[in-house]
Amino acid sequence: MSGSKVASRSYIVFGRRSTAQLTFALGIALVVVFSLVPAVGILVISFTDIRSLPYLATHWVGLENYQTFFSSAQLAYNLSALRNTFVFAIAVTIFQNLIALLIAVLLNQRLRGRNLARAVVFLPTILGVTVIGLIFSLIFNPSAGPAARVWAAFGASSAFFGDPKLAMTLVIFVQVWSGIGVAVVIYLAGLQAIPSELYEVASIDGATAWQRLRFVTIPLLAPSVTANTLLCIIGSLQSYQLIYVLTGPINPATQVLSLAIFTQGFGGPQGGTVQSQGYAAAISIVQFVIVAVVSLAALAYLRRRETSL
Amino acid sequence: MTTLPVVAPAALQAAAVQHPETAHVGHRRNKPLAVVSYLLMLVVVVIYAYPLLFLINTALKSNNEFLVNPTGLVQSPQLANFASAWRQGNFGAYVLNSVLYTFVAAGLGTVMSLLVGFPVARGYVKHPRVWQGLFAAMLFLPNTLVTVFQLALRLGLYDTALGYILIMASGVGVGPLLVTGYLSSIPREIDEAAAMDGAGYLRYLFTFLPRLMAPVLSTVFILQAIGVWNDIILATILFPDQTKWPVTLGLFAFKGTYTSQWSLLSAATLIVAAPLLTAYLFLQRYLVASVVGGAVKG
Repeated sequence: MSGSKVASRSYIVFGRRSTAQLTFALGIALVVVFSLVPAVGILVISFTDIRSLPYLATHWVGLENYQTFFSSAQLAYNLSALRNTFVFAIAVTIFQNLIALLIAVLLNQRLRGRNLARAVVFLPTILGVTVIGLIFSLIFNPSAGPAARVWAAFGASSAFFGDPKLAMTLVIFVQVWSGIGVAVVIYLAGLQAIPSELYEVASIDGATAWQRLRFVTIPLLAPSVTANTLLCIIGSLQSYQLIYVLTGPINPATQVLSLAIFTQGFGGPQGGTVQSQGYAAAISIVQFVIVAVVSLAALAYLRRRETSL
Repeated sequence: MTTLPVVAPAALQAAAVQHPETAHVGHRRNKPLAVVSYLLMLVVVVIYAYPLLFLINTALKSNNEFLVNPTGLVQSPQLANFASAWRQGNFGAYVLNSVLYTFVAAGLGTVMSLLVGFPVARGYVKHPRVWQGLFAAMLFLPNTLVTVFQLALRLGLYDTALGYILIMASGVGVGPLLVTGYLSSIPREIDEAAAMDGAGYLRYLFTFLPRLMAPVLSTVFILQAIGVWNDIILATILFPDQTKWPVTLGLFAFKGTYTSQWSLLSAATLIVAAPLLTAYLFLQRYLVASVVGGAVKG
């Protein structure tokens, strides 16, 4: 290939350019209409009182939806949703990463059956929230589940997902349980990229197992840690599907911001209420800003840590 | 993605495929440590396998047996539970809906990823870098539930299978990025040779390229198919009409109706999980590589 062809717009080898451009435009059009327009639209309609019934008139309301978000009537609810969001995201990020790292180190050893173990740990990733939600509703069903049996053995009983004090902990547990597979595989990939010579050299120098982990594995695994942590932060700040399936759309104990978008926009399990969806859009924007700020800050911090390890 | 650290795809393959020789050992001489490792692995497997096995166990119990002995091993397995769950939950229709949505939306999404990814990778459109940036930016969009709903409502796509499929298909996610990334490893000379032999653009795209790009196209398809099959939220807000529900929503409603009939509910859950479990059994390597490849790119 001659150098002159590698311009910003290359010479097309298939005769006319129009077919390529037409089909490209077709593909882009679908993405623009159903993904990009809604994304930009969220900002636009957050300044309106648009409703879920199309024949009701829509008005510009300026910043009213944002004022509502911080108004005294909504503030307590929204602050609790914010706190729940952060508790959920922080706990999921920490536990998921830590446990995934331990499992990855464990399953990176030459053990019989480790492939089965890897497969089993990854399984929830493809099962989906509805199936996982039902499995754990069964395990934690208050009257006759195995968890209730364990509680009874200690002379206790619990409503589990119905218990406001316990619901969030359980939701976090189920989220970590189902999300760990991806993190484990990413860590395993990172571990296998570490040359084994480094461990041999460290052993010759008399490094203990802990020192090998601390001074060889962890620094060299830092890029995987960054990837996993960011994925986890972004994912858990926005995730609500599992919470919806496990504890319903309006449970205050597990109300997170993204679930509030759903609840405010669609009222409950079935859509079609007449409340303003502009308010839900405003919550979407608040959430978007939080996700952007937190993940960029985390990225900057993790990048710096990577070099200092 | 330029901003995120990306694990080398080769390393991911290595993780998905077994490479015993690459694993660092050296602890093996250490007997007690090996015992501890096996014990820990057993704990991990139990934590993951137990819920699923318990589900199967419960699904096989009669309602009476469940009431008498909810946690013990099943005594007289009732396969009839599956038949009644299937009938009472109307799962036949829901499974058909889900199969339709999943294959059409994921298929369409894969075709779209190819249609937009190829010309950008080859520079057949203006400003390929801008488009690349757009593909990456699309991964960080705000929650669009409300506008997607409004759009469907105003385009007359509310409560239609077409609307649901189009919205699901347009969520291509990392698809175009994976396509452009993979195309950089396919030399332009192959395009030229095919063109020389008289292949048109679309013929090249749909008959030649799929063979060359089978791994990445199947990744794109699988990623999107998992997302569509497991969706519950979009279906909830778009389909007031039960007959259009996918199987996830059918299962969720079934849970609402048969709240405490756990054996029936477990049978229904297994019905929904069965296609996924079967797919996982046979396509495990591809699935793991796909999901992780997609996640890391994102």
